[in-house]
Amino acid sequence: MNATTDIILDVRDAAKSFDGLRAVAGATFRVVRGSITALIGPNGAGKTTMFDLLSGFARPDAGSIILSGHDITGKAPHRIARFGLVRTFQLTRVLAGMSVIDNMLLAAADQPGEKLTSLLAGPARARAAEAAARERAFDLLETFGLKAKLTDYAGALSGGQRKLLEIARALMTNPSIVLLDEPMAGVNPTLGRSILDHIEALRKEHGTTFLFVEHDMDVVMTRSDHVIVMAQGQVIADGTPADIRSDAKVIAAYLGGGPVESTAP
Amino acid sequence: MSIDFWINVAVLAGIYGIFALGLQLNAGFTGLLNFGQAGFMAIGAYTVGLLVVNFGWSLWLALIAGIVLAVVAAVAVGISSLRLRADHFAIATIAFGEIVRYVLQNAQFSGGNQGVLGFDQEWRVFTDWLLGKLAIIGLDRYTQLPLFIVVWIVFAVMLIAISALQRTPWGRVLRGIREDEDATAALGKDIFAYKLQSLALSAALAAIAGFFVALNVSYLYPSVFDPTFTFFGYAIIVLGGYASYAGVAIGSLIFWALLEGTRLMDTALSAGQQASLRFVIVGLFLILLSRWRPQGILGNHEEMRVRS
Repeated sequence: MNATTDIILDVRDAAKSFDGLRAVAGATFRVVRGSITALIGPNGAGKTTMFDLLSGFARPDAGSIILSGHDITGKAPHRIARFGLVRTFQLTRVLAGMSVIDNMLLAAADQPGEKLTSLLAGPARARAAEAAARERAFDLLETFGLKAKLTDYAGALSGGQRKLLEIARALMTNPSIVLLDEPMAGVNPTLGRSILDHIEALRKEHGTTFLFVEHDMDVVMTRSDHVIVMAQGQVIADGTPADIRSDAKVIAAYLGGGPVESTAP
Repeated sequence: MSIDFWINVAVLAGIYGIFALGLQLNAGFTGLLNFGQAGFMAIGAYTVGLLVVNFGWSLWLALIAGIVLAVVAAVAVGISSLRLRADHFAIATIAFGEIVRYVLQNAQFSGGNQGVLGFDQEWRVFTDWLLGKLAIIGLDRYTQLPLFIVVWIVFAVMLIAISALQRTPWGRVLRGIREDEDATAALGKDIFAYKLQSLALSAALAAIAGFFVALNVSYLYPSVFDPTFTFFGYAIIVLGGYASYAGVAIGSLIFWALLEGTRLMDTALSAGQQASLRFVIVGLFLILLSRWRPQGILGNHEEMRVRS
């Protein structure tokens, strides 16, 4: 890790309740730029709600979220995406009735042809952007082994391929940080490993930051450089995999289940 | 008599084809259930009628005003209702269509049930001119031919234009919204803005259809814009195929040929009974089609299958 730790995502006291249920209850953590950070915690810890808060699909009741210096607290999903944060969903969401290539092209950022005004004013620019996006999409699909499926409907892909497409599509937006909600769920171990390899390669090549929710502790401990642990809506621990492994609060949260008020480690 | 009859069927198919193009854009390509299309059509048509009769506007200028006003109405409906869930939006648009119809029925400015008359002077001048040209090839006997020609030229132009627009990155965002609006928003697309544009464009098409309805009946009254016509539009889409603009043309031709053609049946039924029977026949045809070709005539079966 760099000597000057550059923070890409800074979450302070984020809170969100649903009908009195405090899903996220004042969570504070930071994500280092260029890191692969795991977000773990028992079921109901508030991980998916946290993802919704970060990506704008839920508006926090309190707290602040700063992404690369921009306050994105409570902003709409598309605005947050334009600041460079892109997410995938726990239940894979491919655009079933669209081809694989269209799924990818849709994700391209800065396509002037997506605005009626600039489309009609400069169709040539839209075509040029489209050609460039196509090149990028080919590269990513090649990387993720989906090039042969270019014109297939996304809905006709297997579960694992959909997962790959969703991640490839997220990368198509040129993100600075990617939020992956259980990228390994429902994927066979070989494919899971290859997803992880892609993530590591992308981080190395482009410095992309990854924040992912995962239940497989082997994966968390071996593949991430930083782990954030949530329980009952709060961040109870935060550190390297080695730190987390020996953290008493974390062990209590996973084994005991009950409230883990700050008993000293 | 027979040729005039079928020309008139083709006129209706063209007018409601333009009308259904907008519904196809909304329902077939954006996933928006717009059930207020007849309301936008009424706004377009009445704007034309009232501006010409009461304010002495030129018919063509009034057409532009009608389109603009329908678009303004669509933006108002969209801003107030597009954030609702899909099914709630559908209900809100039905309500909009009904509000328009009841206002036209009861308000003073719209002439109530007496309607609006005498706005088509300029159109008749044009028709006479065109019939004069048609006389050269001996077709001036068919007085509806000018309307048929103009409607189908406009329909064809609109169909080609909207198909081209659909193939652009803009159209791709609409399809993304149709498939999954959250996933599309997560990719940085302002889905509300796109839905609003889809609805506004659809309303513009409805207003153009309304203009031709006005010319066809040459007398505007509220029941010409009954919400039922919105559902005629949906029947056309179901027939022609979901998410196919060319399907709109075929669907509209079949729909109107069935609905009007069944007038020619020689039965012992009363007029009222026969009128009902015609809808029964159209309904039966739709049921059979959904059994044997659920995607419609030009719909994409594969696309329908992978989505479920």
